[in-house]
Amino acid sequence: MNGSMKRVGAIFVKDWKDLKRNSYVLFTVFMPVVFAAILGRMGVENPGMHMFPVNMALVMCAAFVQASMIAEEKEKNTLRGLMLSPASTLDIFIGKSVLTGAVTIVVIILSIWLSEVQLTGIAPLSIAILLSLIAYISIGTIIGLLSRNVMETGIVGMPVLVVFLGSSFIMQIVENEFIKKVLSYLPNEQLSSMAVQLHGGAAFGEVASHLAVIAVWAVASIALTVVMYKKSAADK
Amino acid sequence: MENVIEVRNLVHYFGKKSVLKGLHFEVEKGETFGFLGPSGSGKTTTIKILTSQLIGSKGEIRIFGQPQADLKRIGILTDNSGLYDRLTVYDNLVLFCDLYGTDRARISDVLDEVNLAAEGKTVVKKLSKGMKQRVTLARAILHKPDLLFLDEPTSALDPVNRTRIHTILRRLNAEGTTIFLTTHDMQEAEELCHRVAFLNAGEIKAMNSPQALRLHYSDESISLHLKENKTVVVERNEAGAAQIQDYIANGELLAIHSNEPTLGDIFMQLTGRDLV
Repeated sequence: MNGSMKRVGAIFVKDWKDLKRNSYVLFTVFMPVVFAAILGRMGVENPGMHMFPVNMALVMCAAFVQASMIAEEKEKNTLRGLMLSPASTLDIFIGKSVLTGAVTIVVIILSIWLSEVQLTGIAPLSIAILLSLIAYISIGTIIGLLSRNVMETGIVGMPVLVVFLGSSFIMQIVENEFIKKVLSYLPNEQLSSMAVQLHGGAAFGEVASHLAVIAVWAVASIALTVVMYKKSAADK
Repeated sequence: MENVIEVRNLVHYFGKKSVLKGLHFEVEKGETFGFLGPSGSGKTTTIKILTSQLIGSKGEIRIFGQPQADLKRIGILTDNSGLYDRLTVYDNLVLFCDLYGTDRARISDVLDEVNLAAEGKTVVKKLSKGMKQRVTLARAILHKPDLLFLDEPTSALDPVNRTRIHTILRRLNAEGTTIFLTTHDMQEAEELCHRVAFLNAGEIKAMNSPQALRLHYSDESISLHLKENKTVVVERNEAGAAQIQDYIANGELLAIHSNEPTLGDIFMQLTGRDLV
């Protein structure tokens, strides 16, 4: 194991030990699972809703868990300790994201199973979910870096929660076509549209544009995260 | 002697406000250098620039001859250095061992050094403030840094914990660690530092060893403690010497003390303000 891998592993293990004792994060992780179980009891007929448990897991786990973990590091002045160690930006970012990613994947699998939705096109959907995961973890990191403490992630992240989880409902109540068009490019909307198309028998090539949009989200959010992180690494 | 830190004409602004106004100093290898000043004088800003947490607006700094500190060779302790409070003391140190590539066997040595060998399995949030500060110090010295930056390391600590930290710092320095210490505690500076610099409003007002500063700013008088609880102040000249001889001849003299000012008195004399 080279030095960088060892540092990533060290941050991952530290976060895992910490997460097991962090009731706020455990509660946040538990919520999408409970919601998926309720949805499973209600029965999901509309294919447009098939991805809702997955999107909820992405927003609640990937974005909010990551945000709260980063914000807590800032609040308790531990992030500065990591930044002043030989760990590079990439070591810290990957080390902190791997655990969030692993937990989110487990929650997504549990959510799909408990909500009893029948997904079609597992391969393209898996790629889309993985790309979305990267985007949401990055967005979570940005929320964490913008927040001064864990409490503030709720305020800073609320627009994300509303827009990324409720965009389908917003699109039904707004009449402005431009806003509808913008909302349709959100990663959750792309994921839902893709699931609907695959349910209707669409081939991989027909959903490639959705994958491309989600990939752009992933790359753009990573770039923004790196810029934000570097700004917070050095005081003004 | 090799310079570990070199600072040339360091200037820093926060917005339009000038907080460092052309600092110029060196710290030699093996030295404990005290940076003394009241809150807001620029001590923490200087430490942040020296440890690459902040980029100075103008001027030049060199740490081990390089413009940026090699993070593997420095240790940093501030009064708000964070610990993972849901983890044990040992787990906190394991993380930093792995980040620095230090052998984990070093943890027990370091816990011994800071008198916390029995607390390895204790969760950090259950420790007292003094103990937490010693864990933070253990973390800062885990990788055996050549240069240790300490920003108000004993602020808000009780005298027992303060003394414990001082003992550890003296030992580290005796073993060759160069220490850059910021404090507004004059007694701490007198006890630990080979040289001190007085910082006020972003400017160094004086810099020398505590002893040299006291002699330089001494008022040249001597206090004589006599029988019947009397104290007489005499000048350090021939007339004063004659007076001392008389008191000795008469059997009245109990003790002689030179009237040197404290570092706090000198700071007040130089800046017109107190250090707190």
